Amino acid sequence: MSSHNTIHRRLAVPLAALALLAAATGTSAREPFTAAELKSMEDKLLASVQRGYDMWYGGRADMANNGLACANCHPDAAATNPQTFPKFLPVFNKVVAYRDMVNWCIENPQGGKALALNSDDMTALEAYSFYLHRGAKIETGLSTRQTASPAVTTARGFAGKSTGIGFDK
Amino acid sequence: MSDSSDPSRRQFLGFTGKAGLSTFAASAVGVNLGMVDVVAAQTGRRAVTPFRFAIISDPHLYSAKDHVFDKQLEDAVAQVNALATQPDFVLITGDVSHHGELDQLAKGKRILSKLKAPIRSIPGEHDWYLDMGVGWKAAFGEETWSFNHKGVHFIGMNSILVPDFWTAAKLTPAQRRDWFMPLNSPVPGLWGVHEKQLEWLRKDVANISADVPVVVFTHSPLWDYYPRWNFQVSDSQQVRDILGKFTNVMGFHGHVHHTIYNQVGNLTSVGTMSTSWPWPYPPIQLPFPEYQQYRADPSNTSDGMGSASVAIDAGGGGFMQHLPFADSLPPAMKNGYKV
Repeated sequence: MSSHNTIHRRLAVPLAALALLAAATGTSAREPFTAAELKSMEDKLLASVQRGYDMWYGGRADMANNGLACANCHPDAAATNPQTFPKFLPVFNKVVAYRDMVNWCIENPQGGKALALNSDDMTALEAYSFYLHRGAKIETGLSTRQTASPAVTTARGFAGKSTGIGFDK
Repeated sequence: MSDSSDPSRRQFLGFTGKAGLSTFAASAVGVNLGMVDVVAAQTGRRAVTPFRFAIISDPHLYSAKDHVFDKQLEDAVAQVNALATQPDFVLITGDVSHHGELDQLAKGKRILSKLKAPIRSIPGEHDWYLDMGVGWKAAFGEETWSFNHKGVHFIGMNSILVPDFWTAAKLTPAQRRDWFMPLNSPVPGLWGVHEKQLEWLRKDVANISADVPVVVFTHSPLWDYYPRWNFQVSDSQQVRDILGKFTNVMGFHGHVHHTIYNQVGNLTSVGTMSTSWPWPYPPIQLPFPEYQQYRADPSNTSDGMGSASVAIDAGGGGFMQHLPFADSLPPAMKNGYKV
């Protein structure tokens, strides 16, 4: 521990000097990504969110054998609480990740076939639910109390024409 | 804030106790009309003969044989049939079917026919938009109705009407129906009862005395609960205005798949549990949070659902008792509450 503190103290002076120099000359460190790169990444994320939305509302048939979709019980990803995972769930008798609970829902109330845990489709389901919960306080372990649905404030849900998108963007 | 606090409940029980004594005394001497007059004199209201009705909401039946929702509706039917005091009728507050298919409606009618009491129904959006209510009406009758029962005026209305979005878009009936399936569907927009039913309602209540208790059923709530999920009726203000002259209006609705309570002017609005699945509460401040049911345990397939029973007392007041399949009710609702 003491050696780490020593290193930190030794680095602190030159880093502060560099920061002062940058401020004085008006220069700054290069952004890690260009605007075009950021847009490309954002587009790829939203495409995954869109895929997740479609699956959430019944877009992948083998996720159910009884017609039920995630959205039957979780409109707008309500009461999914991804910000509370990992957590202990009695039905598993162990600490599980969000995607474990997703597969539990697919296999039990929906009677469907579980998704591969490392599949793009599983990531898409997570992307949709997590996207709607962005900004939520991480409360790992919360498991029982009634929690509020994510606030989806846009009126886009009632756009008057199909956007195919049910999330706030 | 709560009307279900102990004093109110004691007051209610005390009142029904008096009414029950009056009923007993009148029956004993065989003068029912005389009993009614006594009750009217006591309450200053028009005469109401105490009775019960039950509510079953949102069965959402699928076509598959032995679907889990079939059993849950059968459980609700068994609950109501087991009530010690049988209801005079059972109100089905819509979405008997999930896709509006004829076989789903027929299945619903078949299961509901096992009820000892007769049923009255209003449609939900899932029943309606495959064939614009043709199949539902053939199975369950008109979507707009009223009747008087033992001194109470009952009204049922179709609250899931939207302007035509399908003709210009050349949608098939199944596509039109499917746009109603997601709770937050981006296409149909806010639904309501619309002018034809508003005009009907104006005429229906025009000659009814303001002191007659009114009970109104709609699929969705007659206040702006959470419009994004159509937990609303777009012209509910007009409905409330028309019913504004009445001293006591009790509104019961389905659609929200959970317990919810509110008071708006003279309207006391109560939402019921479904028999199919529970919906989470939306991200708003509930007007009466103590009427929020417990969060359902997904591993308990019976949790968060059920039926309901409503007792109407001699003063025209109502007493609501949710009938959950599992232990879903907090203390404010567990033993029933005044509406």
